[in-house]
Amino acid sequence: MSFKGKVALVTGGSRGVGKAISAKLADGGADVIINYFRKKSTAQETAREIEKKGVRVHLIKANLAEADKIDGMFVEIEKEFGRLDILINNAASGVARPALELDDRGWDWTMNVNAKAVLLCSQHAVKLMKDGGKIVNISSLGSRMVMPVYTAVGVSKAALEALTRYLAIEFAPLGICVNGISASAVLTEALKIYAEAQGLGDSVYQSTPAGRMVAPEDIADVVAFLCSQQSYMIRGQIIIIDGGYSVSPSHTNNAK
Amino acid sequence: MSVEEVVKEIVTRVVRRPAAEFAGQTTFKDMGADSLDIVQILSAIEDKYDIELDDEDMVDVKDMAGFVAYIERKISENGN
Repeated sequence: MSFKGKVALVTGGSRGVGKAISAKLADGGADVIINYFRKKSTAQETAREIEKKGVRVHLIKANLAEADKIDGMFVEIEKEFGRLDILINNAASGVARPALELDDRGWDWTMNVNAKAVLLCSQHAVKLMKDGGKIVNISSLGSRMVMPVYTAVGVSKAALEALTRYLAIEFAPLGICVNGISASAVLTEALKIYAEAQGLGDSVYQSTPAGRMVAPEDIADVVAFLCSQQSYMIRGQIIIIDGGYSVSPSHTNNAK
Repeated sequence: MSVEEVVKEIVTRVVRRPAAEFAGQTTFKDMGADSLDIVQILSAIEDKYDIELDDEDMVDVKDMAGFVAYIERKISENGN
């Protein structure tokens, strides 16, 4: 798929799933803006790797929980590129606690990064998508299935999915396609931290009917398709990437 | 502003406590800071000084005096 001449922003794009998406879009020739939260050295390393593909890579550090930081990020994008063609709302964070232990600040933090930032980034992006564009929001199966201590994140992802549908309709006359993808547990550093912190052992490393876990590249492949012209008639959909896990009769046992 | 003044402003803003509660021997626990507060404090200090801080270093930080010393060391390592 060719993204030559396109400018893409991948939030949380320096590690894990975001890194795979950044690399995939760069493979197609897109210049990539990578937003990251804190790990500058990791972001710089990712930028060096992706630049080798012959595209321009621009790093922006921004805490997406804060609206003024999102404003600043888009001021920089306009100054550096003057346009945007692809927005991947990938950044995610969250407080991992059971519902009874969630406080208002943990809830707000999770909703701000995972849902509100998606709205704010999309509003800014539309102004820079002068020739139409593509927006892909990254969700997870926790939006509809219950996973241990995933309450706040799961609810924030449900909000992201609903927002995807609303934006798809509102942005359609502007020539902007909005869709989402939802994945089961993806083999990344974030999953290892979640599993260790919750003492979940190997239970999160579930097998799927497809015979393996979802890899970041599986997500990136579908994101690239949703950013291509071939997906023009897909609007407001959440594509599930889980190797058949969520429709397998045994998935409820695997999720414990 | 000195590093101590900057740290004091950021810490008390994030945990929403009066500046008077910030003292050398005060701990993050005394300030009512949880892990989410600490992430936000570290992020704000990284933005201010264009440095990278490692969460794991926080294990060795006992109090605000130690925290200020740690930030001063990271700034100096970065050549600022």
